[in-house]
Amino acid sequence: MGSTIAEKILGAHAGSGPARAGDVIVAGVDFAMLHDARASNALQRIGEFGAAQLPFAARTAFVLDHYSPPPHQEAANIHREMRAFADRHGVVFYDVGDGICHQVLPEGGHFTCGDLVTGTDTHSTTYGAFNAFGVGVEGTDLAAVMMTGKLWFRVPETIRVDLKGGLQPGVWAKDLTLHMLGRLGAEGANYRAIEYAGPAVAAMDIDDRMTLSNHAAELGAKAALLEADQKTIAWLKARGAREPRPVRADADARYCERFEIDVAALPPQVARKHRIDDVVAVPDVKNQRINFALIGTCTNGRLDDIRQAAAILKGRHIAKGVRMIVTPASRNVYLQAAREGLVEALTAAGASVEAAGCGTCVNITGHLITGDGDVVISSANRNFKGRLGNDNSEIYVGSSATVAASALTGRITDPRDVVGGTWRPEPKTA
Amino acid sequence: MIRGKAHVLGDDINTDLHCSSKYHPGRDNAYVSQHAFEQLSPGFAKCFAKGGVIVAGKNFGNNSSREQAVHILRLMGVAGIVAVSFGRQFYRNCINNGMPAAECDLAGVTDGDEIEMDLAGGRVAVASRGIVREVPPLPAEVQAILAAGGLIPFLKAHPDWKIA
Repeated sequence: MGSTIAEKILGAHAGSGPARAGDVIVAGVDFAMLHDARASNALQRIGEFGAAQLPFAARTAFVLDHYSPPPHQEAANIHREMRAFADRHGVVFYDVGDGICHQVLPEGGHFTCGDLVTGTDTHSTTYGAFNAFGVGVEGTDLAAVMMTGKLWFRVPETIRVDLKGGLQPGVWAKDLTLHMLGRLGAEGANYRAIEYAGPAVAAMDIDDRMTLSNHAAELGAKAALLEADQKTIAWLKARGAREPRPVRADADARYCERFEIDVAALPPQVARKHRIDDVVAVPDVKNQRINFALIGTCTNGRLDDIRQAAAILKGRHIAKGVRMIVTPASRNVYLQAAREGLVEALTAAGASVEAAGCGTCVNITGHLITGDGDVVISSANRNFKGRLGNDNSEIYVGSSATVAASALTGRITDPRDVVGGTWRPEPKTA
Repeated sequence: MIRGKAHVLGDDINTDLHCSSKYHPGRDNAYVSQHAFEQLSPGFAKCFAKGGVIVAGKNFGNNSSREQAVHILRLMGVAGIVAVSFGRQFYRNCINNGMPAAECDLAGVTDGDEIEMDLAGGRVAVASRGIVREVPPLPAEVQAILAAGGLIPFLKAHPDWKIA
């Protein structure tokens, strides 16, 4: 019997032959990530262990992205502690403004196809877009990896999703992940890995593929794995990653569930207030007023997101009474957006473009706070009640195209109904 | 083998919310352990007898990645948790912090029923109700981590992860 991508990657890292779903293994990790919101716990655990030497430090990145910039002294002090610790042990370091962990890790070429990557964040599934087993863990796990280079894992069952057809212009991977959430429910893939495959994935650029793997975290997925193709390999090599060794699923791999989605007919989707799995087509809520628009986060803060927004807003202005924030996912994304004139176009259109970081996701820095009755449209990944600091506000979640189109009109708007809303990236190789 | 009296909670318990300092900003774990789950079940923590077992529905610890929740459960004296299903990271946090957890449905059990958890043998039983449930026996590695009281103490004793 054949193996899934998850079984192959985990088995290869356990060094004990092929792994099977349900096995518990101890596996060697290739790269690890700790961000500032989980650092105090992890560093405390390392302290309890009393490890003087951390052999895995050079293969660990610390990323200061959540408290970016730090909103209180406690956060600023955690940042000081992380800087000093990283200096002392030779940890790879990304400071405030460098970007979101899930963007800077692949941009930094820190891992490649077939790798096992652990990060202290549920959206570590993002690395699956590069055919790596990216999985979220907690501080104790991270401490164990830094101290020993290894961690225990339960090998997950896999749900295989074959994506047929091609997404219409104006429809993005985000619309697909929202559709999946509507179909399976939040946590509908709890404990399990997802493999996305098929022509619709092949047609996606890397930015959109990262959204596909990233947003699987809201499905509860442990990993969200894509096969590597020439686009993946060229992208990784251009960023100095180790030689990619793509891992494919066997034709006779055993899946706990397998289904097909024809994406050609899929309209833009939004999740309605408070529940990420209360998903409807944009046309069903198109008269809903909004007064706060957010583009950014590890889910949708990449260059193609900012390009979509600029394609819609360039030379125009967001609706009266709407506030809009755009947060690039990394310094590299910010720089390229500036070079392409996107920062200028969005700023002139009434948006505020902020320094790279987790900024637009949750009211952790205090500057996203909403008022009573505010209605938000966001390209983020979650919309729990109170996520933006006020239980009496509502958050809708959609693609960056839907957010920009809605900012333009002041109502939830189908991007296909506005000029520029069907913008598509130029074909590119890296 | 763990034996303890059941303390019942429902489905989709978010431990980030109900078993953390979110409702008690600035308070330490000892304080929070006296007030955990208050919004769901008034007096739950105060009535919790040390050595008790939490019995819950589906998705216990959903969306919860904070290990603080398990530290607080330990302070409350929770000896084990039986739930229909667990949030993935919460389950890892249980193992890594020496909290026995078993996945099975104990519908019909009420507060005070005596629960028996045999994770090595793969069995959860409630003798007074004639309930015996098979659960997948824990692999030796995970049993060793639990027996050591968590992952960090386990690695102190077994820095190479090898268990004899």
